[in-house]
Formats: sequence, C-alpha cells, structure tokens
Amino acid sequence: MSAPEPTPPPRSTPENTPDRMRAVAKYSGIAAQMIATIGLSTWAGYWLDGHFHTKTPWFTLSLMLLGLFAALYNVIRSVTKEQ
Amino acid sequence: MKRLLLAIFCFLSFAAYANEPTATTEEATDKEAFSPGEMILHHIGDSHEWHFATLGDEAHGTHVTIPLPVIAYRPAQGLSVFSSSQLAEGKVYNGLKLEHEHLVSEDGSKVYDFSITKNVASLMLSAALLLVVFTAVARGYAKRGSGAPKGIQSFFEPIIIFIRDEVAKKSIGPKYERYMPYLLTVFFFIWFNNLMGLMPGGANLTGNIAVTLTLAVLTLLITLFSSNKNYWHHIFATPGVPKALLPIMIPVELIGIVVKPFSLMVRLFANITAGHIVILSFISLIFIFGSVTVAPVTLAFGLFINMLELLVAILQAYIFTLLTAMYIGGAVEEHHDADYQMGGGDGADTAHAH
Repeated sequence: MSAPEPTPPPRSTPENTPDRMRAVAKYSGIAAQMIATIGLSTWAGYWLDGHFHTKTPWFTLSLMLLGLFAALYNVIRSVTKEQ
Repeated sequence: MKRLLLAIFCFLSFAAYANEPTATTEEATDKEAFSPGEMILHHIGDSHEWHFATLGDEAHGTHVTIPLPVIAYRPAQGLSVFSSSQLAEGKVYNGLKLEHEHLVSEDGSKVYDFSITKNVASLMLSAALLLVVFTAVARGYAKRGSGAPKGIQSFFEPIIIFIRDEVAKKSIGPKYERYMPYLLTVFFFIWFNNLMGLMPGGANLTGNIAVTLTLAVLTLLITLFSSNKNYWHHIFATPGVPKALLPIMIPVELIGIVVKPFSLMVRLFANITAGHIVILSFISLIFIFGSVTVAPVTLAFGLFINMLELLVAILQAYIFTLLTAMYIGGAVEEHHDADYQMGGGDGADTAHAH
C-alpha cells in the first residue's frame, strides 16, 4: 500500500529536536507546580490561623515550611527518577 | 526574554506618557494626549464592534468598524438583539449601554451578555476557515487514497504526519489513535488563530484567557476521563516515595493535576498577549516621541518581533499539543516505570499500514 519507507530511523537519536523539546516540555510546568504547592499550603495555613484565632501564626509558619519541603522534594524526585 | 522586554516597554511607555502633558501643554488643549496603555489594552481586548481604523482624530474622525450583533438577556425584559452600532460612543439603547466594553443596564439590573463580540466573530471565522481547509484535505484523501497528495493536501500532510509520529505516537504510545482528532484540532485551531491574530485588524483570540481556559479544561477532562489505574496509583501511591511522606505527596500530586492544564492556559495566553503588547509598544514609541525620525528604528524592531511572532504562533501551538499529548500519555500508560520512548515500538509500526 504505502511506498517502502527509508527505514534507518534518524528520529531515535536523542539529539533530535522533538525529543529535546519533549525533555524541555516535561519540566516546563515544574515551576508552576512549586509555586502552587507553596502558595496553596501557605494560604491554607493562613486560613487556619484566621479560623482558630491563633496568637502566633503557627499554622501559616508550619504549613508554609511543609509546602516548601514538599515542593522541593517533588522537584528532586521528578528530576532524579527515570534516568 | 519576552517578558523582560514587555516589562521594560511597559515602564518606558508609561514614563514617557507621564512626561508628555508638560512637554506639549499648548497642544494638549486641542488634541487629546496619546495614551499607549489605553491603546494597547483596547487592541488586545475583546470588543462589541470590530474596529479597523479611525480616519482623523478620535472625536471627529470616521471610525471604520463592522458593527456586530449584541445579544443581551435580562431576567425582567427578556432577550434583546440589536446591532452594536446602537451603542457606539456611549449611546444608550433599550436601557443598555457599554461601560469599558462591559454591557450594563442603566438601572443596574443584571445583564447576561451573549453578544457576538469581536473574539466570537473571529472564532466563527476561523472555525469556518478550518472547516473549509480540512474538508478540502480530507476530500483529497478520499479521492487519492494513499497516492501522492496534491494542492493544499500536500502542504498539510507533513504537518499532520509530524503531529501523529513525533507528538502522538511518542507521547501516548500504542493507544494514540483515538486522541489524534483532538490533538490535530487543538494544534490547527491554535496555530490558525495565532496567525489570524497577527493579521492587521485581527482579533487577539488565543491571547484571551477565556479561550485558553476552555482549551485547557478540555485537555484536563480528556486526561481525567482516559486515565487508568496506573495514573491514580501514581498519584495516591507514588512509586519511590516512603510511606511516611505520602500524606504530603498526595496533595502535591493532586495540585499537579490542576496545575498542568493551568500552566497550559497561562503559557498560551501570556505568550500571545505579550507578543501583541511588544509590537504595539514599538509602534506606540513613534507617537510617544511625537516624531517621525524614530519610526525607522521602531518599525524595524516591530517588524522583527512580528517575524518572531510568526515562529511563536506555530511554536505555541506545537507546545500546547505536545504537552496535551504528554499528559494524556501519562494517564493511559500501562506500566508506569516502563520506557517513555514509545516511538518505534509495538503499536506504532503497525499503524503505518492504515
């Protein structure tokens, strides 16, 4: 049906543009996810502090640090796996 | 880089604007000061009429516009349909008026605006164009089968093949076929609309956050509805994560589900809008300096950015399609830690015979 294809596949080389684009694209959303993680956890802590009328903003502090940890852990995990 | 340029030119243009009234006080009495911010926001925003040019000055000149239908629904009065020329220059029609391109009623009651605005009209135009172009391409395949393509078909065939082989097969794997209609539609929709937005008088459709939001929500829904148990296993019991950390990682992964389409939405919106703003800022510089001598320089820069935007138009369409395919691929993957290079593998080669 179709013409004999030029079989040696040049596209399997990692230097190929789409593959490089893929690698770039894979991590392009990583910053947004960090921001969302830290931002949402901080916001949740802020809301909890307002809800419980805490004197010292312990919820904000702890959840912000937790969010920071989670975001960093997620980044490190996603860049070190599947090598 | 582009954001930086955008920021610089925003500041530059506002600073120049702030200086202007002192410099031309004698002129200001008969001529309104040029406001680049207002002009740019007017150009990138949606509108109830399609404005092309103003001959003469703003107040007395002729406006070259295409009036568009205004469709308003008010719970008390019901539906009212009329031409947007009835509302031009702040006129009141049927108790309705435009306030900064927002349709409001005079008595302050709620108005549901279903108007065919500039963006909606542009969307309809591009949908018609896409239909015409791709039914022609499809007719070519119906007529010639797997023979050599002809005419417009031969222009689009390499692009369609590229999306199929390099984007869908490599990102989604053996199950790529059922996602091809969406991927191709989204690619050509974004590309065509980006290019139409660059045409003189074109609407900034893909630089409208509501449009990109709709595209991103479609991607999110398709990803969620095609997800298998490996996808959810990856979210609720991420491999390689200690059990003790799971309570922290599950929210992070859940946030990730929403953040991925969100970044798609913002990326397309910001890139297209920023490009338009940069070009308009360069053109505005002529009017800010009020001198024709800066025109060669600013027009050269504007032309350069415009050429760059032609590249950005296809690049953003490609990135949106690629990321959509990768998100779908993550949702339909069978073994999660298997290879990501699904390219020349199992299902991909048999597909050539189709």
